[in-house]
Amino acid sequence: MNSADQPLLKLKNITKRFKSLTAVNGINLEVSAGEKLVIIGPSGSGKSTLLRAINLLEEIEEGAIIFEGREVGYVMSKGKRHLGHPRAISALRAEIGMVFQHFHLFPHMTVLGNVMEGPLTVQGKSADEARSIATDMLVKVGLSDKRDVFPATLSGGQKQRVAIARALAMRPKLMLFDEPTSALDPELVGEVFDTIHTLADEGMTMIIVTHHMGFARELADRVIFMESGNFLAQGTPEELFSAGQDNERIRGFLNRLL
Amino acid sequence: MALLFLWALSGPCLAAIDYDGLFRQSSDLMAQGDLGGALDLLGKVPPPAAGEEAGAFVSSRMQAARILAAQKEPDKAVAACREVLKLFPDNSEARNFVAALEQQLKPGWHTVLSDTLRFLPSLAKGALMTLLLVLCTMLVSPLGGLLIALGRISTVRPVSGFCWFIIWFFRGTPLLLQLFFIYYGLPSLGITLAPFTAAVIGLGLNYSAYLGEIIRGAIQSIDHGQMEAAKAIGMTYGQAMRRVIVPQTYKRLMPPVGNEFIALIKDTALVSTIAMVELMRAADQLFNTYFNITALALAAVIYLVLTTIFTFIFEKIEYRAGIYEQR
Ligand SMILES: Nc1ncnc2c1ncn2[C@@H]1O[C@H](COP(=O)(O)OP(=O)(O)OP(=O)(O)O)[C@@H](O)[C@H]1O
Ligand SMILES: [Mg+2]
Repeated sequence: MNSADQPLLKLKNITKRFKSLTAVNGINLEVSAGEKLVIIGPSGSGKSTLLRAINLLEEIEEGAIIFEGREVGYVMSKGKRHLGHPRAISALRAEIGMVFQHFHLFPHMTVLGNVMEGPLTVQGKSADEARSIATDMLVKVGLSDKRDVFPATLSGGQKQRVAIARALAMRPKLMLFDEPTSALDPELVGEVFDTIHTLADEGMTMIIVTHHMGFARELADRVIFMESGNFLAQGTPEELFSAGQDNERIRGFLNRLL
Repeated sequence: MALLFLWALSGPCLAAIDYDGLFRQSSDLMAQGDLGGALDLLGKVPPPAAGEEAGAFVSSRMQAARILAAQKEPDKAVAACREVLKLFPDNSEARNFVAALEQQLKPGWHTVLSDTLRFLPSLAKGALMTLLLVLCTMLVSPLGGLLIALGRISTVRPVSGFCWFIIWFFRGTPLLLQLFFIYYGLPSLGITLAPFTAAVIGLGLNYSAYLGEIIRGAIQSIDHGQMEAAKAIGMTYGQAMRRVIVPQTYKRLMPPVGNEFIALIKDTALVSTIAMVELMRAADQLFNTYFNITALALAAVIYLVLTTIFTFIFEKIEYRAGIYEQR
């Protein structure tokens, strides 16, 4: 059912409102398997809201989310749209990894425990199986020596790499990164980027929200500039960063960052 | 004159004693402060021969005993009483006086010790019942509290409304009233409960309500990002609560829950009003039987021992619950 030319994720006219504020305004987007998409834009432009809408942490008012060709998340009943069955929503989230700006590691579990948790609790794998998956993921992010410590003792960069490993342990088909390095000291940004880069090289499909233009330039197949809930421009990094020079808004934004 | 009269009566064989005069004389000596002289005189009254009137002998020895007791010679006073008891084992005056004197003979701590030994079995039985009530409530109320807390934060309105009501009602009325209602009130609705069942239900509901509010606060104090991260790896709400949110509340819960359980130990005393014989009731019964304050003091000591032990245990658990934040 997943034909080669079918996008992994398709957003149709997604709209999210907070009271009178439209955070995401009729967004259309297609992400093909293996694509690396970077979303940039000023604060409050709706980037996080868009990512959160994709894995249903935010309930949208309008539009459709199509993942692997099937519409997900919402059902119609009595002429109104509702979030679908909790099981179905959890099942979708299990296929989409998400990494947060502030890590949100589980502080009461060891590093290994954090990474095991998905396979163990969500996928119902045996402890041995979950442990072996988690160990592999920790090797991948270069933290197998920290497996038995609690998150409180880790540096920010290490925490974020554990968070990535925790998401990866679910073997997601799509990874969402919401400013994964914004809470890090500058000297720790590199290790997290390297980890994401390795993932990208392995062919992981990902949507990354970031303010680091260098990273966007290096990694992205496509960069989208978002403002006030709309996509203002998109293209390859070269296109956007050069064409962006013609767009006053984008130029202003980029100049402030670079 | 009386002396002459007595002399005449008693005849020549034995010089009979003028008891009245003797008692009068000894009273005079006592009045002059010559207690030794008075005692000598009283000592001269011989034990009655068979069939003879014993009143004077008993009076003399008891009077001597009183003087000796006043002179702070309780053992000699006891000896005087014993002379009476040898002849009249049932003489209640002598017996009571001996009992009172023996109390004086023993040092104070000795009395307390013997009271303690006397009271301890029933107090220990009461304390066990108190402990059982505490443990049952400690088992029931965290579960009840968790259910109430989860219900309270539920988005299903009737559920959260019901849990709000439970908290409102049980925190807003006296525990004593709740116990009365359950034990004395429910029978009129056709539900008759044994005292123990009524006590556990009353304490359990009351403490569930208090713990429910505490647990709700603790759950809501956990960073919202934790729930999102749990959901993001595919957990359902229930899984996230069970695996991620609730376990993180343990450390925060320990101090207030520990306080509640210490209060619980003391609150169990209230069930003594619904025919439960626990520590408070046992002490009260002893106090009313013997009018002896040692029973109450002992109950206080046992309550203190219980609260101290529980405080210690809670501190240990609190430390362990927070270990992940230190390592
Ligand atoms: N839960 C919420 N309730 C009300 N308003 C919200 C909520 N979440 C976001 N918003 C608003 O929606 C808009 C978009 O927010 P969003 O977090 O998506 O922006 P962003 O592009 O991620 O910004 P940043 O770069 O600062 O992370 C903002 O104006 C924000 O204030
Ligand atoms: Mg954001």
